[in-house]
Amino acid sequence: MALLEIRHIYKNFGGLRAIDDFSLEANAGEIHGIIGPNGAGKTTIFNTITGVYHPDQGEVWLDGNNITKLPQYKITHMGIGRTFQNIRIFKGLTVEENVMCAFDPQSKYSIIGGILPTPNRIREERRGRELTRQYLDVVGMLGYKDEKPENLSYGNQRKVEIARALICKPKVLLLDEPAAGLTPTEVSELTDLIRKISADFGFAILLIEHRLDLVMSISDTIHVQNFGKTIASGTAKEVQNDPAVIEAYLGAEE
Amino acid sequence: MSLQILLNGISTGAVYSLIAIGFALVFNILKFSNFSHGATMTASAFIAYFLVASKGWGLAPTLLCSALSGAIIGLIGEFIGFRRILLNHSAPTYFFVSSITLGTLYEGLVTLKTGTNFYVYPNFFDVATVKIFDAVVSKENIIILAISAVALIILAFIIQKTSIGRQIRAVSFDRDTAKLMGINSTLIIQVVFAISGFFGGLAGCFLGIKFTLTSTLGSLVVKGFIASVIGGLGSLTGAVIGAMLLGIMEALFLSLWGSGWATIASFALMLVFLLVRPQGIAGSNVQEKA
Repeated sequence: MALLEIRHIYKNFGGLRAIDDFSLEANAGEIHGIIGPNGAGKTTIFNTITGVYHPDQGEVWLDGNNITKLPQYKITHMGIGRTFQNIRIFKGLTVEENVMCAFDPQSKYSIIGGILPTPNRIREERRGRELTRQYLDVVGMLGYKDEKPENLSYGNQRKVEIARALICKPKVLLLDEPAAGLTPTEVSELTDLIRKISADFGFAILLIEHRLDLVMSISDTIHVQNFGKTIASGTAKEVQNDPAVIEAYLGAEE
Repeated sequence: MSLQILLNGISTGAVYSLIAIGFALVFNILKFSNFSHGATMTASAFIAYFLVASKGWGLAPTLLCSALSGAIIGLIGEFIGFRRILLNHSAPTYFFVSSITLGTLYEGLVTLKTGTNFYVYPNFFDVATVKIFDAVVSKENIIILAISAVALIILAFIIQKTSIGRQIRAVSFDRDTAKLMGINSTLIIQVVFAISGFFGGLAGCFLGIKFTLTSTLGSLVVKGFIASVIGGLGSLTGAVIGAMLLGIMEALFLSLWGSGWATIASFALMLVFLLVRPQGIAGSNVQEKA
């Protein structure tokens, strides 16, 4: 059984069929790219995996557990981390606090520990801080830990989002258009970072991206979506030569 | 201004701070003003009166009982008044209506038990006043000030430095994203209602000590509400500053013009303030980056 198994999910919004029979199997260490024109239902797939919506039909299995109907925070605890298309960082918290608050649900100390400095709390706070710094270091943002995130460039905000997703200890990492709004230098940095965390942490990565060069270069498998349907899936070479894909992107030949 | 007036003002301000903080915490996380807060204060002050104070158990047990009652009432209110609306992603108006309804319900329940009678907490102090330099200050004011200050400092520490505090802040900034980062936002909202109720209970008990216990004690919540608006809605520091200003101003006006004019003068001044600085003391007027 694969690490992440998405089995024939469907999602309608009123009359709009946002996901029309999507399936995917991802194993540890693999990178899956999901591409397609705007409105193809790519982000809806991520939202369905993470429990923002529940699918109308179909199931999502993670590591042998059915996570389809779990509340969002539990799905995250089961091992799915994500970043967002439009950056969603907690403004008003520092970079370090942004990452650390995603560790906090895992930290185990009681309400009493919230008021009194029990040894348990001191230990957990230290563990959280160390992990936070470790992950900020992985994404190269340790030097910015006391900054307010809204003052950072988009590229750096994305890295903070990635660190915040990493500290959730994901088995599967969902990256929603991580290269949107980045400069070419930042894109190549990001590509290296994705390769590096994929190799170091060994989780499965699902990647939604419009920059085809980025997707083609790092994905093991690419799924092409159009109007909620998967019109092709395979290696970069296979989908590039698929007539249905060419039609979706360039229009049909007369 | 004499030291005596200043200390009285600060002590009143401290109670207003407790009320304002209770408001601001809930406002921060759900973006609505919880108008059931006043009745929560009344109800917890009365529960403490009947269960503890009337049996002659002293100040500390009474305060604790009032605060814990407030926390429990807060939790019940969250569950029956707001949980469904929250899960439904309803408009703030529904929260507003629900909180007023809850408040009226609590007040009605208290009135059933007490009627319109006045109740007075027993005297908790053997000696009523203490001398600080040449000022004669009532001992209750000093105690109220000290306990409020400790409670506020502990809260500030929890919000800024602990895991639960970071989660409260994260949920306040963006509830949906917080959920996706593994934060159980329903639990965090419950905690916030409990803390808000706890502070309401403390404030209710203090108001009962300073004045008398009546079923309309909760109307003093307006002071806390104004303080939190003056401070900048949602800002906890601002709420405390606003409450202190209001308390000191009231004490000053009281000594100058007597109680009738003092209330009018302080409310008038607050209105002028809001005219000049509608976003409050700590409220920011910076435009968001799109």
